[in-house]
Amino acid sequence: MHDPRLPTTGSGRLPGSAAGRTWAVRLGALAALLAAAALPHFVSNQFYMHMANLALLNAIFTMSLGLIAAVGQLSLGHAAFAATGAYISALGALHLKLPPLLGIAASGLATALVAAILGKILLRLRGVYFVLVTFLAGQVVTLVALNWESVTRGANGLVGIPPISVLGYSLGARAQFYYFALAAFVGVFILLRALMRSQYGRAFRSIAENIELAESSGIDASRYQVIAFAIGSGIAGAAGAVMAHYIRYVSPDTFTFHESVAYITMLVVGGRQTLTGAVLGAAFLTPLPELLRGFVSMQHIIYGAVLVSVLIFLPGGLASIGHRIAKMTRGGRPRP
Amino acid sequence: MDFSTLLAQAALNGLVIGTMYMLMAIGFTLVFGIMRIVNFAHGEFYMLGAFSAFFTYAQWEVPFVFCLVIAALTIGALGALVERAIIRPFRNDELSGMIATLGVSVVIQNAAVVAWGPTPRAMPNVVDGVLSVGPFTFPLSRLVVIATAALIFAVFWFFMQRTRTGRAMRAVAQDADTALIQGIRVNTIYPIAFAISVALAALAGALMAPIFSVSPFVGLTPMLKAFVVVILGGLGSVPGAVVGGLLLGLIESFTATALGSLVADILQLLLVILILLVRPWGLLGQKEA
Repeated sequence: MHDPRLPTTGSGRLPGSAAGRTWAVRLGALAALLAAAALPHFVSNQFYMHMANLALLNAIFTMSLGLIAAVGQLSLGHAAFAATGAYISALGALHLKLPPLLGIAASGLATALVAAILGKILLRLRGVYFVLVTFLAGQVVTLVALNWESVTRGANGLVGIPPISVLGYSLGARAQFYYFALAAFVGVFILLRALMRSQYGRAFRSIAENIELAESSGIDASRYQVIAFAIGSGIAGAAGAVMAHYIRYVSPDTFTFHESVAYITMLVVGGRQTLTGAVLGAAFLTPLPELLRGFVSMQHIIYGAVLVSVLIFLPGGLASIGHRIAKMTRGGRPRP
Repeated sequence: MDFSTLLAQAALNGLVIGTMYMLMAIGFTLVFGIMRIVNFAHGEFYMLGAFSAFFTYAQWEVPFVFCLVIAALTIGALGALVERAIIRPFRNDELSGMIATLGVSVVIQNAAVVAWGPTPRAMPNVVDGVLSVGPFTFPLSRLVVIATAALIFAVFWFFMQRTRTGRAMRAVAQDADTALIQGIRVNTIYPIAFAISVALAALAGALMAPIFSVSPFVGLTPMLKAFVVVILGGLGSVPGAVVGGLLLGLIESFTATALGSLVADILQLLLVILILLVRPWGLLGQKEA
């Protein structure tokens, strides 16, 4: 489709240096993956394993939110899709004895379908209006979960959700679940990376940059936005289901407005422009509050303060630090 | 209790919460109209107003009128500071500005938990007694809320229509660049507008503190309602916020009496999502170019 020797449209790097960097990046990714795979052998503390699992799941939530942000829309109802997925899979497992893996897949498909239908309607709104409507839709989901007691058991939530099992092998323990979460994370990462590098990704970027220009160049912005919203929300739904089978419990408090804000925080702090940014944000912010364990309010204060400071002082997020340093060491010379 | 008393009761309660929604929505819509900022921290300023009233009135026993003035001034000043330090860098970036206010909201709410604890506190009524009109009796405490809110709105309206600063604010809302050319100092108008907006939220919080309880988490519902009202009335429209606020309060009170409050809430949100889709500029607002 596209000659790899030519510079890609977005980066403007020279072909030679790009190839060199690609290999460095690939080696780095491989090393990181090996280190991640070996982690359970070095970490025996259950709590650290739990943190690693949460960080992987949060990275999935944040990357999927980043996909929606990549078409220039900010969803403040991301946790509502996670909640929907969690309830679907939990109810399937509890009432229909559905195997968790099947339930997770079904949750992902169902939430993607819901998001596609909703997106067709909601994505007519742009900017702050879309944010407001996703915020309100998220509130509706929380209220329904609270109110529909015959199905969701209201505020008590659903307990006794079975753990994920693969070929009869239960992944209830933290170290075992870790491999599942890592595999899911790598899968989502590769999928989204491929998507962003395909013609879809180019269309997404052009819509985010200038939607009028993209539309006048013949790109059907609404269609691409619905696709991004459906895939992003579907991943969130599946990841919500994974979370439900991991913590073995789901209630209206599991995924609320505050979780939606947390995913946005991770995305902004890590960097909105790249997939790596979302991962960095989740990896940095998931364990950070644990420095202040048992003092929940201080954790939230730190989240809020980090969010505001990054927005003001480092708008590109953590992912842009490398660029900044490179810029400074080059002493303001124009980029090669 | 017969039917007409029930209706009168529902109407009075509807007016009380309606005036609160009105005060919240005016401030919210003012900031959006002038600064193009959706302030997700608006509810936290309501909460701070409620705490301010709790400390000044219930603990230090300051006369309630002064409690209101103190709440408006201190929290208004805090708002001006927040605008200067946090909102200003995002003047041309609506989305980042909104995310920043989410951060502000999280910080204020949890700072309140750290400072004052999560337990709700009850606050005594400002006046006791009832007013009897024919077969109906109305608690005076509720009537005072309605009257005070009406007075606050009158002052606000006078300020916006008749003072130099108010007129300048309306000019900036219409077109910031043209206002700047006309010699209006936009950089002083923004913090003033933000301060007035959050002072109105604080006044709403102070007025409601005796009716609802006071805790760090009381801000979310009023903010949600402010969103709803502002979508009904149109983002940026002050008359829309007044009509929308009062209407929403009344509708909510009657549907909650008939269907229960959770169902009423869900129906309300769905209705608003529908309106947002059909008329994003609101029932009374103007379509944006």
